[in-house]
Amino acid sequence: MENILLRNRTIPEIGTFETYLEHGGWEAFKKAFSMSPDEVIQEVLNSNLRGRGGAGFSTGRKWSFIPKDAERKYVVVNADESEPGTFKDRELLEFNAQQVIEGAMIAAYAIQATAVYIYFRGEFWDIAHNFEQEIAKAREANLIGQNILGGDWSCEFYTHLGAGAYICGEESAMLNSLQGLLGQPRVKPPFPVMKGGGLYYEPTVVNNVETLANVPWIIVNGADAYRAIGTPESPGPKIFCLSGHIAKAGNYEIPLGTTFRELLYDLAGGPQHEGKGFKALLPSGASGPVIPLTEDMMDTPMTYESLVELGSVLGSASFIVMEEGTDMVWAAYKMAQFFKHESCGKCTPCREGTYWLNQLMTRIISGQGTMRDLEILENAATQMQGKSLCALGEFATSPILGTLKHYRAEFEAYVNGEKQKELPASKTVAVAH
Amino acid sequence: MSEVTIYIDGQEYRVPANTNLVDVAKFYADNDIPVFCYHPKMAPVGMCRMCLVKMGSVEKNRETGEVVTDENGNPKIRWFPKLQTACTQTVYDGLAIITNSEEVQVARDDIIEFILTSHPLDCPICDKGGECPLQNLTMRHGPGQSVFYYEDKMHLDKHVPLGELIYLDRERCIQCARCTRFCDELVGDDVLAFHERGRRLQIVTISDPPFDTKFSGNTTDICPVGALTTADFRFGARPWELKEVPSLDPYGPEGANISLSTRLDRDAGGRIVIKRVMPRQNEYVNEIWISDKTRFGHHHTRSDERLTKPLIRQNGQLAEASWEEAYQVITDRLRAAKSLGVIAGPNQSNEDLWELKQLASHVENHHLGVFPATMSGGDIVNTVGVGVGTNFLDLKKGDVIVVVASDLEEEAPIWYLRTKVARDRGVKLVLLNARPTKLSKYAKYNLTYAYGDAVSAINSLISAVIGAGKINDEILSRVDGYDELAKSVKKPAYTNFTEAAEAIGDAQNMIVLAGSEGLTLAQQRELMQACANLLIVTGHVGRPNNGLIPVWHGANIQGAYDLGFTAEATEAIYQESLDVVLVAGCNPVGEVVEAEALQNANFVVVTSLFETETTAIADVVLPRQSFAERDGTFTSGERRVQRFYTAQGVIGESLPDWRIFAEIHYRLGGPKPKLSAGAVMAEINKAVPSYAEMRYKKLAEMPRQFPDVGGEDLYYGGTAYQNRGGIGQQTPTVAEDPEARLSVRPVEAMTPKFDGLVVIPTTLLYDRGVLFRRSTLMHQRIPAPHIVINPEDAEAQGITDGDTVAIVVEGHRYEVQVKIDKTLPRGAVLMPRRLSNRPDPSVPTVLESIEKIVQPVPVTEG
Repeated sequence: MENILLRNRTIPEIGTFETYLEHGGWEAFKKAFSMSPDEVIQEVLNSNLRGRGGAGFSTGRKWSFIPKDAERKYVVVNADESEPGTFKDRELLEFNAQQVIEGAMIAAYAIQATAVYIYFRGEFWDIAHNFEQEIAKAREANLIGQNILGGDWSCEFYTHLGAGAYICGEESAMLNSLQGLLGQPRVKPPFPVMKGGGLYYEPTVVNNVETLANVPWIIVNGADAYRAIGTPESPGPKIFCLSGHIAKAGNYEIPLGTTFRELLYDLAGGPQHEGKGFKALLPSGASGPVIPLTEDMMDTPMTYESLVELGSVLGSASFIVMEEGTDMVWAAYKMAQFFKHESCGKCTPCREGTYWLNQLMTRIISGQGTMRDLEILENAATQMQGKSLCALGEFATSPILGTLKHYRAEFEAYVNGEKQKELPASKTVAVAH
Repeated sequence: MSEVTIYIDGQEYRVPANTNLVDVAKFYADNDIPVFCYHPKMAPVGMCRMCLVKMGSVEKNRETGEVVTDENGNPKIRWFPKLQTACTQTVYDGLAIITNSEEVQVARDDIIEFILTSHPLDCPICDKGGECPLQNLTMRHGPGQSVFYYEDKMHLDKHVPLGELIYLDRERCIQCARCTRFCDELVGDDVLAFHERGRRLQIVTISDPPFDTKFSGNTTDICPVGALTTADFRFGARPWELKEVPSLDPYGPEGANISLSTRLDRDAGGRIVIKRVMPRQNEYVNEIWISDKTRFGHHHTRSDERLTKPLIRQNGQLAEASWEEAYQVITDRLRAAKSLGVIAGPNQSNEDLWELKQLASHVENHHLGVFPATMSGGDIVNTVGVGVGTNFLDLKKGDVIVVVASDLEEEAPIWYLRTKVARDRGVKLVLLNARPTKLSKYAKYNLTYAYGDAVSAINSLISAVIGAGKINDEILSRVDGYDELAKSVKKPAYTNFTEAAEAIGDAQNMIVLAGSEGLTLAQQRELMQACANLLIVTGHVGRPNNGLIPVWHGANIQGAYDLGFTAEATEAIYQESLDVVLVAGCNPVGEVVEAEALQNANFVVVTSLFETETTAIADVVLPRQSFAERDGTFTSGERRVQRFYTAQGVIGESLPDWRIFAEIHYRLGGPKPKLSAGAVMAEINKAVPSYAEMRYKKLAEMPRQFPDVGGEDLYYGGTAYQNRGGIGQQTPTVAEDPEARLSVRPVEAMTPKFDGLVVIPTTLLYDRGVLFRRSTLMHQRIPAPHIVINPEDAEAQGITDGDTVAIVVEGHRYEVQVKIDKTLPRGAVLMPRRLSNRPDPSVPTVLESIEKIVQPVPVTEG
């Protein structure tokens, strides 16, 4: 199938304005511009495009929530791609920038936004610079800025660089960060689409980079054509980021509903090391529960719904693959460290819980844990569930609880004195007395 | 107010709409939903997660709107799958919560456990221990046994000074952000912030000087743990040893309610002393906030420098004497007095003033003056002051607050805070001043006039109101003099006030706060009349939340006016050579140059707490009692008469002023002194019509207040918020009588013409006044003597920022530092009062000369 998103794979310079135009670029925007904003929203709604940032919420519905009479409205592009093992947006931003810009401008037109902001993670410094140039070219062509295409509607496009915080990928924390405030999530409701909840407390659509990259194709080819790709509930193409113990790591653009086998074996060549089988999968970076990667599930189609049935989530589809022999306790420990480092500290369960889980995991991994520690670990993680202000606190529990559920014996090996890892002095914690 | 039905643990309650669920549950259902981050005075943030409850909505029939019931007749409720934070929920019709299920109890236990994973268990040495929400909630929800069988807590700095007033214990902090939100959101001072993230998240001060706000102490009250403590109180006493005595701020015109936490103290020789000052809840006055001056300015009450015995001048020297000797000398002299000038200080209580007035009446030619004599118009306030029942909290969107000729943050910080918060609710702020103040950035309309021209500015506003057709026709039927007034403002000095005038005309409610900056006493009186004119013709008088509030420079100037004392009389006392002068509890000679004339009096009697420049010229000095050793009443600028109570033991032989005056009067043939201040008030009740209802018992009445932050609650804050002293009572205004005629009259601008630079005396919150300077803790906050000048004027004079200069004003020389302020209009040189040990000019005065002092090179020792 022809790539809809990663068109850079076949057209190397597609990310530049000139080449993009040569290949039908901005036609979608012009077509959208000839439609009414409501028709654009309806088209996207009909396509059943679901947000690619992780939650899978209907993009068209989100747009339709924006109050029509609001004086100021914004589109914010979430380019703070910081989930471990996720690098799909990065490829789009690096090599297919114009498609993202066009998608964002279609969204802006659909809600009649007054401005578009793109929030890059801090490390995307080069990408942001390139973006500035590409935005300038589109502005010169009157596709961005004052009186776009000679009409009444004006909309500016700004770039913004974060300062290196995972939490700023959470939409309300990102809005705070954009406003110059501390990057901490807000209480919802009000949601960003509502007055009081968005950027500068005005109604705001926050969309993921990959989501918006889908939009031009939908406008040009129509919702029906889009729904023909993938499954009815999860239509369209999706970029899967494969990393870990896989022969050919990287981004794969495939229709949703493709089976695990097709992706992991046919396309990605199976486990990294010959003679080893797969052991486990983190389907959504660090923030979804780990699941055993078994032969039984290989023919399951990968959709938002099927992953839930398997006890996990599709999320951003960043597959971290682990083959036989992987130390699952160590993997859980690394993720506990990650969440302890990235918790923003705003709400109690996450701030204290991630710290506590890390303390416990450190003790266990260094061979100084006890059976009681395992009990406390499970309790502490369970205790965090359903209580945090945003999803980060929830995510932080899933690697621990998932690993405990499926690989308890490996934990027991650590607390029984069968295994231990030497940790640097800076990582050790006090032990039982 | 509209009501809604909500269900708490299956019980149905009717509660006011648009209120917070936590507040409502507590007030109407006596259900303490535990909280740490939520505070009823601030927007909810849902951070601590302590208030999780099971939440749902009652099912309603879509067509009829009727509540759907189950077979038992109970309403059917659709529950959220997860627990929800109660603090972020505004009540709505059909809201249902469960707070007593096991699920909710477990969730609370879980959150407490999380908080305790990093909170030190140093309650035995923590100042908050005994009145700590976390301690209380741990007693209720804590597991009783720790799962920490290893040492896993994070250790952080325990004594971090956030400036010299407040200390932070980083271990104890539970990151609730109450302190940062109080400073940022309520006060508007961006001085505290979070630094870092995750478990390392910690409070830092980001201002220079650190924690630069006049309200910093309030953060220690709202801190739900012992993380923030005051330098004044920390490690000073345990809360359960303290006896709370209701009292009043002795400094400001706002009448802030305070609670004096007292105990018998070894360091004070076993006497009862004030260990700390806490706010006392009065939703009409200061809610639960006090300024740092009120909180930390109490040390004069037990200063070692307090006068303990009467002093009589003998052979040119003041020598200790008995009260009887002192009374003898005074009565002998008063019997022969040809004339008497009385100057009553800013915190003479109503009872003091009453007895002083009775005493003064013994001398036929007498003047009743008030000090400081910066402002006039107490009688005008009694006509058009704010209506009974006024509360800044009731001002809503579209209402207007006008502030004229005042730097409110410095002169009345509680009114500053309440004005600022009202503005956040949508109240339009109209600011009239000759220079920008801290309030300017919140003002919808900043109307600038030239110094001394405040009256023209108000006249111009009235002119614009007339021009916009916004005169209140209804009220005109009871107004005399409108036509003359309208005629007099036909040619306004300022023509760009139309928008503000429209806002004033459209406002349902309007309060005018009038000050005195840059005005002579005569001009100031005219300003008060001009404000009255504006209020009357726009119909903003005679009802709650409308009227005039004077920004008096003292706690009971309003009471002084009510009882017949005036600033004009004080001026007369300065100007006329009087036979006898009696100065009650103030230091005019040390504070204003005009008062030097008091030296010419033949006989001077002073009641005082301390030796001052005024006691230095006295023939008899009488030791008075501070507000903490006695009881009495003050009347605030909102005319709220409030009681303060006896808190600490008497220092030396000092007596309350009312008693002193009554004893002297008795010896002159007056009635026997009353036995209590309350008995004096009973006299006032009979003699002064507006005080007829101000009986002590009534003033002590204590209705339950919403939100309910005092008392036994587990979560809102310190127990000392509790108000056991009463919320006081406002005196009625003339305008509230619908039969009463109201008169307006043209007022003259009387704008002076000055050549060259003019020294404008201003008032700062922190100064070297006789009482406040005894609080050494605050010395770093009191600026050095200085002037503030426009950069162009400074350049013309050859001076720059930081220079030390000598200025001469009316023959008086002052050495002051120079501060440059580009927002100041040209020609004005601000000179804050009471910063030096020399008396200041009290009215705008021409600057005679300014000269840079060459600093001597500091000698370094070899």
